[in-house]
Amino acid sequence: MAEDIATLISQLNIDPQVFMVFLIVALMIVGAVVVVVASRPILDVYPYLNPIAKVRARKGRLLDDKQMSEILESNNIEEFSSYLRGLPDYAPYLAEYPIEKSLDVHMADTYKFISTIVPNEVKDSFDVLATKVDIANIKALLTAKEVGYSNEETSNLLLPSGSLYNDLDRLVDANSVNDVIAGLDGTEYGDILADAIPKYEEEGSLLPFSNALDKYYLHKLLHSTKVPGNDNTKAIYSYIGTQVDMDNLKLIIRAKADGLDYDALSPYLISEGYQLREWKLKDLMESDSVEGVISSLDGTKYAEILQEPLSRYNNGESISVFENALDSYFADYSHSLSLEKPLGVGPIIGFLSGKEREIKNLKIIARAKREEGFPEAKIQEMLV
Amino acid sequence: MVEIVLGTALAALGAGIAVGFAGLGSGLGQGMAAAGSVGAVAEDGDMFARGIIFSALCETQAIYGFLIAILLLVFSGLLGGKPIDNIAIGIVAIGAGAAVGFAGLGSGMGQGIVAGSSVGAIVENEDMFARGIIFSALPETQAIYGFLIAILLMVFGNILG
Repeated sequence: MAEDIATLISQLNIDPQVFMVFLIVALMIVGAVVVVVASRPILDVYPYLNPIAKVRARKGRLLDDKQMSEILESNNIEEFSSYLRGLPDYAPYLAEYPIEKSLDVHMADTYKFISTIVPNEVKDSFDVLATKVDIANIKALLTAKEVGYSNEETSNLLLPSGSLYNDLDRLVDANSVNDVIAGLDGTEYGDILADAIPKYEEEGSLLPFSNALDKYYLHKLLHSTKVPGNDNTKAIYSYIGTQVDMDNLKLIIRAKADGLDYDALSPYLISEGYQLREWKLKDLMESDSVEGVISSLDGTKYAEILQEPLSRYNNGESISVFENALDSYFADYSHSLSLEKPLGVGPIIGFLSGKEREIKNLKIIARAKREEGFPEAKIQEMLV
Repeated sequence: MVEIVLGTALAALGAGIAVGFAGLGSGLGQGMAAAGSVGAVAEDGDMFARGIIFSALCETQAIYGFLIAILLLVFSGLLGGKPIDNIAIGIVAIGAGAAVGFAGLGSGMGQGIVAGSSVGAIVENEDMFARGIIFSALPETQAIYGFLIAILLMVFGNILG
């Protein structure tokens, strides 16, 4: 055998030592190629393993159906509150804040937690999601100033979270809405709010501020997702895009129920979406009724979801049937996305949407439990 | 100082491949399992022991590579004994090293992904522990194949004995 190889080498007129060097170099090249090719999937998965374990730990603590029905069966708000006090995730918040605020602060901390742990390729989107808290705080501050709340009442409305909290807390003693907006000059919301002042003064309502903030938030959210480059960014693009579509749809349906026309509605809507592109949104805004909006949705995935709520709405139920249907769809869609990429952004999306759903449902139950004799079946219907 | 003949040098190359690639796979796998475990322990301190178990699973590939490398070094004359003066036997030694090295690389990486994922599943649902271990043990088979073939190559390639 060895002689055969030696003969072969000599026939090739190659020095045996040179041959060995070639052999070793060839092996090293093969090894390098194997390492590079085999490492590719690892490099995609690796940044997610630590965040996935963290969110799955919290996902495991989300309330299950049994716990939700136990909460639902509580006789009053005190029982509801004491049940939540027994849960490690909620106990610290309830010890410090009233129920609704503790739920909001918990959700705000969850957004912050997620934006801290996610890998860089999807971080921008979760950072924008975390700014929901800033927007909620600005809205609360503007409302408090418009209504004329005392400084203490105003301060209680603010959630102690978000990047703007300290700035907003300093503005608690501002004298008016305009003072608050002047105080926010230099922040990313300063110009948006300043632009809405003329409309606010003309209408005498805070709606222009609220809508301008929502529009800015949705625009930023949609643009936080880069052109999908891999399965993770693709999943986050679908998640964020569907969220923007949902919000646009809710706004259009609400506006149509209030009889607003295209001109009144268009300034508050972002002119882009995920499945609902610019032309489709224009089409929806030009519809003359809620029924018109739903029929214009034909050919999109949203048409089917809104058919059943439409008949309930036509039977006299409130506009919230559409919002509930869209929220339920979004929760299910997020769940399906979370299963698509189990070693990527999937579990993070799954946990976040599960937590949003849980908080939303707890707030619904809390509100209902404050009213004596509110039927459980009715609460059940309202849950997402 | 041991006089290194070409056959011994080839066996040394085989030993390097064995421990190098198997260690690379094992290290990557263990890194992934440990990354998941650290995340789990950060949320739930009780996960420490289970995290260690899953992280340690990915150690085996490096052990197989290390064993084959030691055997190659011992029986090629580098650590005493008779040097390999036959080039063909030296090439067989490279084959043995490559078998356990590349098998360990793939097995370690695969095991790391499953172990990291299993830690996430267990921290969400404790009942997943046994099933997580089973799934994590599956990619071990490739490393065992590589290890067995390396042993067979050494036995029948006149390196051992």
